[in-house]
Amino acid sequence: MDPRQQRVDAIRARSTELENHIIDEYRAGKIDRREFVRRGGIVGMSIPLVAFLASACGVTTEDLEKKDKAQTAKPKPGGTIRLGEQAPSGALDPVTVNNQGGLVVLGQTGEYLIWSDPNLKPLPRLAESWKPNSDGSVWTFKLRKGVKFHDGKVMDAEDVASTFDRLADPDVGSNALSVFGGVLSKGNTKAIDAQTVEFRLDEPNGNFPYLTSSDNYNAIILPKTYDGDWEKTFIGTGPWKLDRFRPAEGVSFVPNREYWDPRRRAIADKNEMIFYANEQGLVLGFQGNEADVVVQFAVSGGKALLTDSSVITTELRSAAHRQVHMRTDKEPFKDKRVRQAIALLVDRRALVEGLLDTKSDYGNDSPFAPLYRSTAEVEQRQRDVAKAKELLRAAGKEDGFSVQLNTWQGFEMPDLAQLIQQNLREAGIRIDLKITDSTTYYGKAVFGESPWLDSTMGITEYGHRGVPNVLLGAPLTSKGTWNSAHFKNDRYDSLVDDYVGAVDLHSQRRYAKQIQELLLDEVPIMFLYFYYFLSGAKDYISGVETNAMGHTDVSRAGFV
Amino acid sequence: MGRFILRRLLLGLVTLFLLSIIVFVCAQVLPGDVGRSILGPFADQKSVDQLNQRLGTDRSVLVQYWDWISGVFTGDMGESLAFRRPVGEVIGPALVKSAKLALLAFIIVVPIAIAGGVWAALKEGSFRDRFISLGGLSATAVPDFVWAVFLILIFALTLGIFPSTATAPPASGFFEQLHYLILPSICLIFVLFGYIARMARAGTIESLDADYTRTAVIKGLPQRTVVRRHVLRNSLLPTIAVVATQLGYLIGGLVVIEVIFNYKGLGQTLFQAAQQKDYPLLQTGILIVGVVYLVATLLADIAYSVLNPRVRLGSEE
Repeated sequence: MDPRQQRVDAIRARSTELENHIIDEYRAGKIDRREFVRRGGIVGMSIPLVAFLASACGVTTEDLEKKDKAQTAKPKPGGTIRLGEQAPSGALDPVTVNNQGGLVVLGQTGEYLIWSDPNLKPLPRLAESWKPNSDGSVWTFKLRKGVKFHDGKVMDAEDVASTFDRLADPDVGSNALSVFGGVLSKGNTKAIDAQTVEFRLDEPNGNFPYLTSSDNYNAIILPKTYDGDWEKTFIGTGPWKLDRFRPAEGVSFVPNREYWDPRRRAIADKNEMIFYANEQGLVLGFQGNEADVVVQFAVSGGKALLTDSSVITTELRSAAHRQVHMRTDKEPFKDKRVRQAIALLVDRRALVEGLLDTKSDYGNDSPFAPLYRSTAEVEQRQRDVAKAKELLRAAGKEDGFSVQLNTWQGFEMPDLAQLIQQNLREAGIRIDLKITDSTTYYGKAVFGESPWLDSTMGITEYGHRGVPNVLLGAPLTSKGTWNSAHFKNDRYDSLVDDYVGAVDLHSQRRYAKQIQELLLDEVPIMFLYFYYFLSGAKDYISGVETNAMGHTDVSRAGFV
Repeated sequence: MGRFILRRLLLGLVTLFLLSIIVFVCAQVLPGDVGRSILGPFADQKSVDQLNQRLGTDRSVLVQYWDWISGVFTGDMGESLAFRRPVGEVIGPALVKSAKLALLAFIIVVPIAIAGGVWAALKEGSFRDRFISLGGLSATAVPDFVWAVFLILIFALTLGIFPSTATAPPASGFFEQLHYLILPSICLIFVLFGYIARMARAGTIESLDADYTRTAVIKGLPQRTVVRRHVLRNSLLPTIAVVATQLGYLIGGLVVIEVIFNYKGLGQTLFQAAQQKDYPLLQTGILIVGVVYLVATLLADIAYSVLNPRVRLGSEE
């Protein structure tokens, strides 16, 4: 036998199940070399071992070589890059946009003060630097010089101040108001000089730069004269300019030759975005070569792409997740032991493997996704049926109970609801599923008029956020407007205030640990997994950059 | 005939008016509100209220309806709430697209289905009759989305003969657009063939059994002449009515096929408008579909009366 293979076999014999699983995925071509090295490191495999396995376990196959080549190859100038994505749900306006279809379009011509990279590292974009005062209540941003809007006008601090004033103004109808509420009020963003902007916050906030970054997709910098008709011009400062917009069908862009950053000037001649009404059409279109890049797909709808040798898939860890709330003020969940029992009954591993093909991190019943830099080490909750039954007995519910679980017909949520139903049956808990359309589930999205906020138990989808601030606030604090669990805990509220106000990472981690432990004990909401952001490109394209928010930058992309 | 058409047109206007009221009331019954559906469930309530105020959707239902219907009479269909552009700008291109697909499918399926039905009826009970009847029925019984995915998998992804979408690139020529529309048209042919062919077959069998056909045969006329002059003229009457009602479906009802083939026709546009409670867009679109139905049935009635003098005479009495 080949001595290399003998060594691989020996390593595999002493490896854990999880380590072998990662090796199998790499061998099958489901993950690339970079991802193999990353995941190997996460599970504790040594660097020399990972390096040996990377070279020995099937990387010499033709497909992987081709993929490696495509990923590292320098793209040639010219050509038209075609991006397929789910259609924006309505008019495109940076102030009101609320879906991924819209934000991907905005990001082609528009730019943010800060770019949040796939590892959530804030990189200077239209801002060159930023710093807080001593308590994090005032943030000062220095802007880049020589940046021009597509109409030739120079971008300055007045434009930035008016952009954030507009977003924080309750009379405008901005979609970013849910982010800036209690953080930044209208009139508190001042242009100090042409290149300096000062944000005076309502409360100290250590993560404020993220709220001005690409993670807050409404925060595209617009001219102060912006009148709301964005579709007319797609005005921005970005590397692409509007060529032609066909509402509901697609939009094409041409390079902005005046772009301020020569390293990010567009390589291709044209950037053509094609809108698809749903994921099925998008995947079929991409497979049928109608698009070169698919901005995002889910495991449930795009499984075929994961094993397609002509597609290079990108997997990014994200904070996107589903929340399973349990009303803490209503039977049968008033007693926290019942909520703990429910969390112990759910088989997270089966969910991650069955629903998400392992493209996910495990959740530990708090919004702190493993991706966040401030997330602290807390013991992971595992399935334990015996302990769950013990807790139910102690809470006087040893005979089980019946409860309705509400959700809507979208993503993998109906399947998740069924799996929870199966898991809970083991302890005699009978789940009655109520799966409606999204409009019915959310209703008017205010307490008393929304199954989302009023139901005893429900599953709700939450997208990626660069920092957990919003997720810690609205769904969990006593006055939170999305508090479907009706969770009221003074200590929690105070810890969230402390976390939000903490400026340094060390303090954030300290408060995060306390919050994570509190939520693990109280379990108002189950956070079962944080699924990866998946995107794909044909193997003849390289240079596509994405982040987990869904921003797709093709300025440096081209054909190889 | 003139009075007949005028009467039908007046009745059509009343029908459209009632249709507009029904659609408006139905749209009001749907849960959620416009501002919320545009900004999403996680938007601040203040923003939602502000947007509703700006769009005028916080006004009473009657005021909103009057605003829209009075605009329609002056040729102003209003502005789409979701797209924030004049309804005509959104619905016009969608209508043109739907019309192109419907026309192509119609041109192919109507002659083939009628010929198939008549051909099957001429040898009732034979193998070809069973083949056409059962084959057509089976094809119709398979849901359109199954046909769509099947056709894409075979002809687009495996063989690569046709594109997997129906939307041709911008500025495509006539033949390129035709190329893109072939697969969805085939899908529609499968869905419609069985229905139209069965009607043509039933009508033909009935006509073949009629006294006038027997008389023509006894007179010694050749079979081809009997079929052309006596059978077809009568057997196609019920088929015409069926074909006319399918036109409305083809223009405004192809939601699933349009979604799978990524073809932004009227069906998909209206479906989205209903989801977003975009009343001006939804109502105008449904009125257009209503007009298509009315015109198609009117044309069918005219054709009916041309083919059947009893109807014509009856209407003039």
